Order: sequence, then structure tokens, then C-alpha cells
Amino acid sequence: MPQLGNLALAIALILAVYSIVANIYGARRNSPDFVVSARHALWAMCAMVTIAMLVLWSALLRSDFSLEYVASYSSTTLPTVYKITSLWGGQQGSLMFWTWLLSIFTSIAAFQNRRRNPEIAPYALAVLAGVAIFFLMMLNFVTRPFDLLATVPAEGSDLNPLLQNYWMAIHPPSLYTGYVSATVPFAFGAAALITGKLDDGWIRSTRRWAIFSWFFLTLGNMFGARWAYEVLGWGGYWAWDPVENAAFMPWLVMTAYLHSVMIQERKDMLKVWNLSLIGLAFGLTLFGTFITRSGVISSVHSFTQSGLGPYFLSFLITVTLGYSALLIFRSKQLRSPAEFESYLSREAAFLFNNLMLVGIAFAVFWGTIFPVLSEAVRGVKITVGPPFFNRVNGPLALGLVFLMGVGPLIAWRRTTTSNLVRSFAAPVVIGVTTGIVARAEGLRIWYVLTAFSLAAFVMGTVLVEFRRGVNARRHMVSEPRAKALVNLVAKNNRRYGGYIIHVGVIVAFVGIVGSSFFRTEVKKSVHAGESFSIGSYTLRFQGLEQSDTPHLESATALVEVLRPDGREITVMTPAKLFFKRPQQPATKVAIRSTPLSDLYVVLAGIGDDGQTATFEVFLTPLVFWLWAGGLMMVLGTVVVMWPNVRERAAIATALSRQSTGARELADLGAPGGD
Amino acid sequence: MRIRPRFFIGVGLIAAAIGYLIFSAIRTTSEYYLTVPEVAARQTELGGQALRVAGRVKAGNIDWDPNSLTLKFEIVPIPDVDNGAVKPVVASDPVSFHVICAGEPKPDMFAPGRDVIVEGKLGADGTIAATQVMTSCPSKYKPKQSQ
Repeated sequence: MPQLGNLALAIALILAVYSIVANIYGARRNSPDFVVSARHALWAMCAMVTIAMLVLWSALLRSDFSLEYVASYSSTTLPTVYKITSLWGGQQGSLMFWTWLLSIFTSIAAFQNRRRNPEIAPYALAVLAGVAIFFLMMLNFVTRPFDLLATVPAEGSDLNPLLQNYWMAIHPPSLYTGYVSATVPFAFGAAALITGKLDDGWIRSTRRWAIFSWFFLTLGNMFGARWAYEVLGWGGYWAWDPVENAAFMPWLVMTAYLHSVMIQERKDMLKVWNLSLIGLAFGLTLFGTFITRSGVISSVHSFTQSGLGPYFLSFLITVTLGYSALLIFRSKQLRSPAEFESYLSREAAFLFNNLMLVGIAFAVFWGTIFPVLSEAVRGVKITVGPPFFNRVNGPLALGLVFLMGVGPLIAWRRTTTSNLVRSFAAPVVIGVTTGIVARAEGLRIWYVLTAFSLAAFVMGTVLVEFRRGVNARRHMVSEPRAKALVNLVAKNNRRYGGYIIHVGVIVAFVGIVGSSFFRTEVKKSVHAGESFSIGSYTLRFQGLEQSDTPHLESATALVEVLRPDGREITVMTPAKLFFKRPQQPATKVAIRSTPLSDLYVVLAGIGDDGQTATFEVFLTPLVFWLWAGGLMMVLGTVVVMWPNVRERAAIATALSRQSTGARELADLGAPGGD
Repeated sequence: MRIRPRFFIGVGLIAAAIGYLIFSAIRTTSEYYLTVPEVAARQTELGGQALRVAGRVKAGNIDWDPNSLTLKFEIVPIPDVDNGAVKPVVASDPVSFHVICAGEPKPDMFAPGRDVIVEGKLGADGTIAATQVMTSCPSKYKPKQSQ
């Protein structure tokens, strides 16, 4: 069986190489037969990687410890679901998972473009095949998933207990999907540069890919935060760890890209900027893998060096240099006749929003690589911790939120004063009132006051937009308010879905601000029967319950939670677990979540007498809204991605007459604004 | 794309503000990230400074009091793993530092022989008063136990 896996990976590599050659030859010689055969080769490559995946999965499920990978990351007692997820629990497996996703996305892109984009698609597919070649080389020669052990152990060394929870099943796949799907828009951008077909065709053809990628990056970051919150037991959800930053940076740049392409579609500006952003987004996905796999910036995730670092770095440098050379080579053709006219315009608001997003990404990048830079320059590793990231990104986040309110309401090109007043009077009043009320309620921290006021301001602008749209609809076709609202969103899903995402971002932002500034913490050692309090809650420790299974031992504390009037709300059960193989303790946090605040109880220690326990308890206000906001962002993205008949028709027309009259058709493609 | 000169002012101001934020934040939040031998070599100049130390938990001498959440242990250098390269043998005394971390739960992965990062300050007596002890996550990205 392992030979079958090796063979499949080898054939996949050959097919990828063939596909590059055939695509480029076919496109240059104008020979469709070669392009068709290149496409078939990509599909066959996908089939080969799929076979390799199935072989590894089958080995994991059968606990075939002759495979080094299976012996390192699985065991006979591991529950079946974790045998499946341990495919991406280790390096070789997760690299193969990545390659598999890439081959699937490449195949889909090849299918979508079998008749579309005859000029740039072959080059885009060649770029995708080139990326696949890099990963397949790694799998074939550097970090081989099907290597065998000389002596077959009787039992595997099991998956790390931290990875044995359901987040493991959903967090890495989401993040990888987000990472890998960013390759498709990048490939089309690169193809546009190679061919010189520099209109916005490449953007339109891959708009859904970019949103798809953003969607999964959002999910991946949210799941990661939630995982940290539920599993790691320190009461927080984000530590600015290099591995977290690696997932956050592509999200930021993708967000900037999704906004700035609107300017190119509408105004034919920012061509270089958009091409740079998508190149940057792709580069950051590679950089993220480089960070996590190389251990170059000793994160808490990994101290160990792995052999992959230099390869990823070389590939990253090659891609960066090649792409930059293309940009410079085409720079003359990329000049745009249009220009910015006024600060008070949507273009300007979007430009500054882009600067903020890229600025945050740069700050995160700088903070992440600072230890390496300082070591290279000064010979000493100097790190910057969470305070650095919070201090830099806090003010930038405020600016970004402000622009989120301004951007959607302000007119393109330029705005008159009366326009400004009409659009922004109500939201400004809402924002200022919120600030005044919060201050009257005793809130004194200027950052929080500003943040809450701006959040209310943005909510106000979204309300104004929805109200305006509903009224306009009811003016044209008389329908009830609720129906008008549904139709409004359905007919302009791109625009109103975007607003729903904005609401989600604001809600999450409020959750982040609230949980960062007002978290309280109590540490207490108590005997059974004793109680202590945090906030308005009283916690009574009732005692410990022990249990023992073949897989793990556990000690569970029963903690009664009482309201000030003495009524019991619930019993919480934080626990200490002790896994038997590998022998390792773990902590099970108990969380009681309400919209106002989360009660988070950690069983930090157990006394030798079995009657005393030490608890670490956090009371975190508003953190609930971070997850609620994440959910809204997800829903909004689904609305944006929902197939829209009108838009499809417009794109089809645009593509059939691609080279002619791109401008007027562009406006058709985006009914109702953006 | 052409940008009118007055737009350069706006763009420049924002870029400068971001640059200033980064610059000032780095100055106020940075801390040394050192190995145990590096701490030993610079002991005098490091007194009272915020630092992170990477080292290995020495077996024995580990004292954990779950009631006060106080963890005491000794940290020693992480041995170099060189891939066959011959290194000159330096006859130096094995260095170690006492670490006291109070008020934090003991990390689940904490055990003798594990590699840890200690965050805290070095006292005059050579004891590190730690605010945090972080353990490495030993599995996820580790290639194998084949050294």
C-alpha cells in the first residue's frame, strides 16, 4: 500500500510538470489540443493526489504502524475521528493535505475556464501547476509521508492531547482552505502580468475565489481563537503568537484586496496596487507555512527545527522576485488614466482603508520577525510580546472602524457638503450619544469610549443604508417593509451582504474591546465546601470526582455558581485530565457564557489530600460578541457569495466580449454600487 | 494610477503615523530573548530587565505548591544538537538558574527535561522571578524523535 502512495505522488509530479509545458506551449502556439491535454493532466494529477490521501487515511484507520507517520501521530486506542484528523496532525500529512486542496482547486479552476479566458487561463493554470510542483517535490523528496520504519512498533505514540478535540477537525482544514484558495486569484493575476492582458478580467474571473478564500481565512482565524479560548485555559483567545499572526496577516491583506478591487472595477485605478496585494496575500500564505514549519521564530508552538524551512524560504524568495520582475516589466502598461479627485470620495476612503489594513499587516509582520531581525543586526534576540501588537494595532483599528462607517456612504469621485450632512447626520448623532451615555454611566477609558462611539457610528451608517434602500424599493414597487428588505438584500446581495459582514466586524470589535479592557481574574485555593466570589457571582467548591478509563484518568471539580441572592445558577465542572499515552496531563476548562460576560473556571491544581483545589477564574465581559460577530461575518459572506442571476448574466456578456468595451460592462456587473 | 500631490500628503501622514507607532511600541515593549548560557554571560547587565529565557527544566529540585500556585525549579541550557559537526569542547561549568513563578497554574506540559521559555526578571541573587512559564508544544510540528 505505501508503495501505491509513493507511486501516486510521483505520477502527480510528472503530470504537473507536463501540464506546465503543455499549457504554455499550447497557449503560445495557439494550439487548443495542448491546452486541453494540459487540463486533463491537471485532473489526473488531482486524482493521483487523492489516491495518495486515501492510502494514508487507510493506513491511519488500520493503525498500520509500519508507516513512520502513522506510528508518530496515531495509536490503536485513538478514537476513529482523531485517526482521520491526524492526517493533518503532523508535517508530512498536513503538507499532503495542502497539496490535495491545491490540486482540487486547480482542477475546479481548469473546469471553470475550459471555454472562458482563452488567453490568460492557460498561463494561470501553468502557475497553479508550478505551485503544485513545489509541494509535490517536497512530498516526493524532502518530507515523505509514506516512509517506512525499519522495525514496526506494537503501538503508535499517539496524537498530542491538545489536538484531540473537535476544533482539530475544523480549524486546520478551514485555514488551509483559505490559504490554498488564495493561490487561484494569485495565479490569474500572474497570468495577466505574463500575457499583458491587464484589464480587470483576471479580477472578475476570480472574484468568487477571493471571497471564498477570505471566508475560510475568517473561519480559520475564528476557530483558532475559539480553540485557544476553550482548550488552552489561560482565559484569552489571542496571544499574538507567530503562528496566529501567520494566519491573521493573509486575512488582513485579502480584506484590503477585496476592497481595492472594487475601485479598479469601478474606476480603473489601482491596478498595480491590486496586483501587488494578491501577490502579497499569496506570499504571506507561504510565509505562514514557513514560520510554522521552520521554528525560525521560536513560537510556543514549536521549538524544533525542521528541514522544510530553507525550501520554503527559497520558494518564497523565487516567487517574490519573479512576481516583482513581472510587475516592473509591465509597469508602463499598468498606468491608469484616472486619478483621485477629492479626499471626500469613496475612492479616497477605500485607499485609506487599504493603507490601514496593510499597515496593520506590516506591524504584525514586523513584530513577528523582529526577533530574527534583531539577532541579525545586533546579535541578540529581542522579542516584542502582545503589548507591542496591542499598542500599534489598537489605534489603527479605530481608524479602520471609522473608515468602515465613511466608505460605504460617501459618493464616488467627490462629495458635496450637503450630501455629507444628509448621509452622516444621523450616524454621527448615534455615535456621539453612545459616547455621552457611556461616559455618564461611568466609563472613563478614552480608548473604550472612542471605540464604542465609533462602533455605534458605523452601525448607524449601515442602518441609514438599509433604510434608504428599503424606502427606495417601496417607492418603486409597493411592498411591505419586511418583503422590501428581503428583496433588497436578494437583488443586491454583494452590497448588502457586505454590510452584514461590516456589522459582524463591528460586533466582534466590541467583543474584543470589552474583553480586553474589563477582564477580571481571581486565583483561590479552597477546601471542599468553601466558597469565594468573582464579580457578582459566588462559587462554591463541592468536591472532586475521580474517574479512570483505558484512555485517560480525570479529576473533575464540582463548582456551584450562585447569584448574589443565593440562588444557584448552575454547576460547573472544570477538570484535570491525565492522558495515558503519551503520559501527559491536560486541563479541561469550564465556561458559562452569557451575552454580558463569560465565567471561565480553570482547575489549576489539586492538593495532595484530594480535598483542596486551586482555581483560576476569569470573568470576561462581552467576549460572547466576538463569536456572535464572527457568525454574522460568515452569514454575510454567504449572502455575498450567493449566486445572483443578474450578475452572472452580466459577467457572461462581459466575458464573451472581453476585450471590447470593458468599462461599460463593468458597471453592469455590479448593480447598485459595489 | 496617478495620485495628486495633495494625496501624497495624506498617504504620507498615515504611513508616518504607522511607522511612528511601530517604532515607539518596539522601544517600550521589547525584551531580551536569551538562552541560559547567554544570561550567564551577561548576568551583570541584565539585572532587573524584562527578559525571556529559553532553557530546559532540570530533573530534581522541582517544587510545586498547588495551594499558593508557586512553582520552583532550576533551568539549565538546552544541549546543542549539531548534525555531526565537531564542536570544540569548552570546559565550562554547567550553568543553571533558579526560577520562581508564583500565582500561575503549572503548565500541563511542564515536566523534568522539557524545554521551556521563562518570562520574568533576573534578580541580584541570580534567581529569575518569572511571571510566566511556557512549555513547548512537543508534537505538532516535531518531525520525529530521531536525534
